Amino acid sequence: MMELRKTLAGRIALTAVATVILLFLALPIVVILVTSFSNNAFASFPPEAWTLNWYKALFADGSKWPAALSLSALVAALSTVFSLIIGVTAATGLVRSELPLRSAVFALVLGPLVIPQIVTALGLFLFFEPAAMLGSPIAIALGHTVLAAPIAVLILIATLRGIDERLEDAAASMGAGRLTIARKITFPLAAPGMIAAAIFSFITSFDEFYISQFLSSVDTVTLPVQVYNSLTFEIDPSVTAVSAILIAFAILALGLVALVRWLGSGRQDSLLSVENTVGVANPGGEAV
Amino acid sequence: MAATLTAGAPARPRKLLASRRTRVGILYALPVVVYLLVLFVYPIFSTLLLSLKDADGSFTLHWYADALTGVNLSVLFTTLRISAETAVLSLVFGFVLAQAITRLKPILAGLAMLVVVVPHFVSALVRTYGWIIMLGDKGLVNETLTAMSVPGAPFQLLYNELGVVIGTTSMMLPYTVLLLYGVMRGVDRRLLAAASSMGAGKVTIFRRIYLPLVAPGLASAGLLSFILSLGYYITPALMGGPNQTMIATLINQQVTKENQWNGAAAQGVILLVLTLAGLLLVKVVTSLGASRKKRSA
Repeated sequence: MMELRKTLAGRIALTAVATVILLFLALPIVVILVTSFSNNAFASFPPEAWTLNWYKALFADGSKWPAALSLSALVAALSTVFSLIIGVTAATGLVRSELPLRSAVFALVLGPLVIPQIVTALGLFLFFEPAAMLGSPIAIALGHTVLAAPIAVLILIATLRGIDERLEDAAASMGAGRLTIARKITFPLAAPGMIAAAIFSFITSFDEFYISQFLSSVDTVTLPVQVYNSLTFEIDPSVTAVSAILIAFAILALGLVALVRWLGSGRQDSLLSVENTVGVANPGGEAV
Repeated sequence: MAATLTAGAPARPRKLLASRRTRVGILYALPVVVYLLVLFVYPIFSTLLLSLKDADGSFTLHWYADALTGVNLSVLFTTLRISAETAVLSLVFGFVLAQAITRLKPILAGLAMLVVVVPHFVSALVRTYGWIIMLGDKGLVNETLTAMSVPGAPFQLLYNELGVVIGTTSMMLPYTVLLLYGVMRGVDRRLLAAASSMGAGKVTIFRRIYLPLVAPGLASAGLLSFILSLGYYITPALMGGPNQTMIATLINQQVTKENQWNGAAAQGVILLVLTLAGLLLVKVVTSLGASRKKRSA
């Protein structure tokens, strides 16, 4: 690569190959979006005529999609609550305290992210089957939390590390109690990270397939499992519309995370600049 | 608290404070530890136990013998082969793309990263479906090839190993691009400049300086996509034929269709051992890389 750097032909070749690879990543998504409005939803591209029929079919009588969607939304909401409780406490413990066996706890948190999901799913199946809890939204949510909570913990660890501890110390030195510090300093600064953690927990659970498939029953099928079934066993062209909605949902969620991060990025700076104007703890700064 | 604030000896309050911080830490870490011990470690442990038990509860290695013979063994080899092909392809594509992105202007680089990151957050099922539409006989790829009058078109691109590897590679690629981009940005450009000022040619700089610096990153990115592919079955199950059955599909079939939990458990443990071996290799490779960086600095 290096030897190509300065030659024009080399640059053009690299750009062309990179563009093809980017298309390789983006095209499957673009094709779904286009096909969801196509008259012929089956393996024919580009479409000959346009229609909204696949979207209408989602809500037709006997459609399985509304039930699958509401189950997935319920499960993801529960899983998000569990993940945030676990995430906030774990991140606080890992970042802001003296924790014995800290690296062991951290390794445990990373475990579900590196172990094949099918193995976790099999273990959870063996766990919930004897309790006759297969198909229970609670069981599926508890299962999803095994994957979603570690992601929340990682995001919140980064959030807490990014908060200047001197702000908390300063508040304490001025006589603020623990609760006041948490409510007026730490929580507002951590809020963007908490929202990001919530969104990522929700997406993780909403898209989760392996655990859902093992913990589902005939009557309770999550959205990804229903998509999988539609692609393997049944022929249901409205799966294109569902896929397009899922793509829109993913883009919306990522946009939301970016927005929250952007809004939150100014906050600690503004607090620190207050600190600067007061003239406290301003090492190396110019006198105000 | 009151006692620590009014205590005269300075050493004692500090010690008390430390132990208090420790107690608070344990309290905060408790939810995640308990949760993962009950719903992650214990279930995997019971999978391990189940794989070692016969129908009557006695100890046996029968399920492992079963998992490592006949059709099951060929599924294991298929899994390793498809994972290796996926890892090599996503490493090559990832290397080229990450290289290209490091050379782009910030705005274009940001856009390119968006194209890498957005698919990563779109459900793998949805992206697989996109590939099925694209690779069919009348899909985008074959229609384009036919229009260009490529001899032999339309090609059979689905329900064979080619389709599976195309699909899984596109699933693993975001990971390798993100990892390699981070590694490449971490390379100290001054080292390259120093070599150049001493008269090294571009090929020599690439081979003797740049490649050794990014090699640990390349190795761990390749291993990571290999490990992630091992336990994967969404894309192989939907885009492959009977000859592309992977170990995760087998586990699913044994549980849901054949009610054969012990066999599935043994397959799961084999998959787990392969994954842990891969992770150990990643750790060795990255620590080798760290010590090399230290020496060169």
